[in-house]
Amino acid sequence: MKVVTGVVGNDIHVVANRLIDISLQARGFEVFNLGVNTSLEEFIDAVVETDADILLISSLNGEAEGWCRDLQFLRSEYDLREDVVFVIGGNLAVGEAKQDDIIPKYRSYGFDLVFHQVDLNTGLDALEQYVKERA
Amino acid sequence: MSLLQKERDVITRNEYADTFDFAEIENFIANAPKELFITHHFKKRDRLLVQPRGGFPTYKKMFELYETFMGADIDVLPLTIDSNTRLNDYAMAQKMLRLSEENEMDMLNGYPLVNHGYRTTRKMMTHFNKPVSLRHGTPDARLLVETALASGIFEIEGGPITYMLPYSKNFPLDKAFLYWKYVDKVCALYSKLNEPINRESFGPLTATLVPPCIVIVIQLIEMLLSLEEGVKSFSVSFSQNGSMMQDIITSNVLKKLAREYADTFGSHDAIINLVYHQWMGAFPRNKELSDQLINTNTVIAAMVRADKIIIKTRDEAFGIPTMQCNAQSVANTKYTLRTLKGLPLIHDAEEEENLELEVRAIMDAVFNDPADTLWRKVFNTIKSGLIDVPFSPHIINNNKVITIRDDEGNIRIIDKGKLPLPDRCFAYEKSKVNLPESKTEVITKIIHDIGAML
Repeated sequence: MKVVTGVVGNDIHVVANRLIDISLQARGFEVFNLGVNTSLEEFIDAVVETDADILLISSLNGEAEGWCRDLQFLRSEYDLREDVVFVIGGNLAVGEAKQDDIIPKYRSYGFDLVFHQVDLNTGLDALEQYVKERA
Repeated sequence: MSLLQKERDVITRNEYADTFDFAEIENFIANAPKELFITHHFKKRDRLLVQPRGGFPTYKKMFELYETFMGADIDVLPLTIDSNTRLNDYAMAQKMLRLSEENEMDMLNGYPLVNHGYRTTRKMMTHFNKPVSLRHGTPDARLLVETALASGIFEIEGGPITYMLPYSKNFPLDKAFLYWKYVDKVCALYSKLNEPINRESFGPLTATLVPPCIVIVIQLIEMLLSLEEGVKSFSVSFSQNGSMMQDIITSNVLKKLAREYADTFGSHDAIINLVYHQWMGAFPRNKELSDQLINTNTVIAAMVRADKIIIKTRDEAFGIPTMQCNAQSVANTKYTLRTLKGLPLIHDAEEEENLELEVRAIMDAVFNDPADTLWRKVFNTIKSGLIDVPFSPHIINNNKVITIRDDEGNIRIIDKGKLPLPDRCFAYEKSKVNLPESKTEVITKIIHDIGAML
């Protein structure tokens, strides 16, 4: 399966991005890594260009929300495949925030899976499970 | 008028900068007291020089910081530059400087040197009469360095690779090479007037599991690029990597090869110094433990026979340290160095031979590139992945090399990407690690190895 990944917004936290890349490859995914400082438009462009099955956005500086609100809008603009899985993970809020507040919020923006401060492998296990169940 | 002088006139004619009087600046540098030149202190080689980091937006607070440092018997004062200046956004730096002055609040994470100007800043530098080191991270540092040298700051950190690959996603690397050529040319020009200006490279790179062979190769390259322009004093550097043995080996090989390559390229008269950075990765959030980490680092700096150590503070995990905390760290480090005597000389023939072979193989790949100049050869080598910095955010970096720690904490290469390592060297690296069976466990171990000091 093809995955497009990267860090959204003005966020240069490259270490986790690189680890996600290696981990996805280790799990057999074909990875297109856009790296740090990536805008939502660039992500969607890449999904179209690579015909990806999954878009996995990460964020560490907590500013993801402002960058990801328009996902539903862009999704309709771009005429994407219906079955693309949208995933976001990392540290999804500035300061302390409850899982119960964050997950519904990001789901309403159009993300199928939301991982706030979840261990990398736990998150990727959940992603694989989700993809398997949907198939 | 020379082409360089024409370029200097264009660069320094900037609405946010002082009007440059080059004749007056040359006169100032020619007659500046020796104490201001770190090269004068390096020459004595009588002690390991201690330098913290630090920079505040206003002149007043910067002055107070230096006064506090002087109380801790500091050897080298730092001048850390704010992030707007690093991106050449002098308008924003100006605005934030005014706000900082009016509200007595720090709106910048460093000293906006270009906006303060050299006439003002020089007063502070000559008042304290200590060597000052310019710390920044600027890809285009031409105006900044002109201002620094005119202010009496005679050590300039940075380079086209080490200020680019760890810090930027897409600033063009070829431009960076040319901008740093300008910096080296100006430093070389002023070096003829008095004691030489010292250039320093930033060896820690991403400070994330970077193998010693990559650190050394990039140190040697930036050294050669500077010497090529006529720089006469250069500091190579690296940071604590997590194994004392590997730090000592890195130092032994780096010192040996830096001298050898400088001589091979005809720079017999160039002085090469070694700078050691205390741990550049994540610090513990417990301040007492941070003090212990800093102390261990100071011991290793002495063991690697560094000429200068750049220190951290117990506030590292929390942001910019207070003046008092920063000065206390200087005093602590100086105490450790003063009381630490009788250090053994350590060598490990097998490790050193392996590391040296790796470095020579990559350097040969650089020199064998068909391009006509050194910087173009280096550019091509980075672009093709023959030089690859782990965890660099830059799009030009190949990002294929994977490293992990062995049982002794040494960083070993388990995937060499396109690094042109000899087979026996790569086999040696791999023979040192017992990799877990599953790839998931390998990644968990890498995460653990990155945060080795937490």
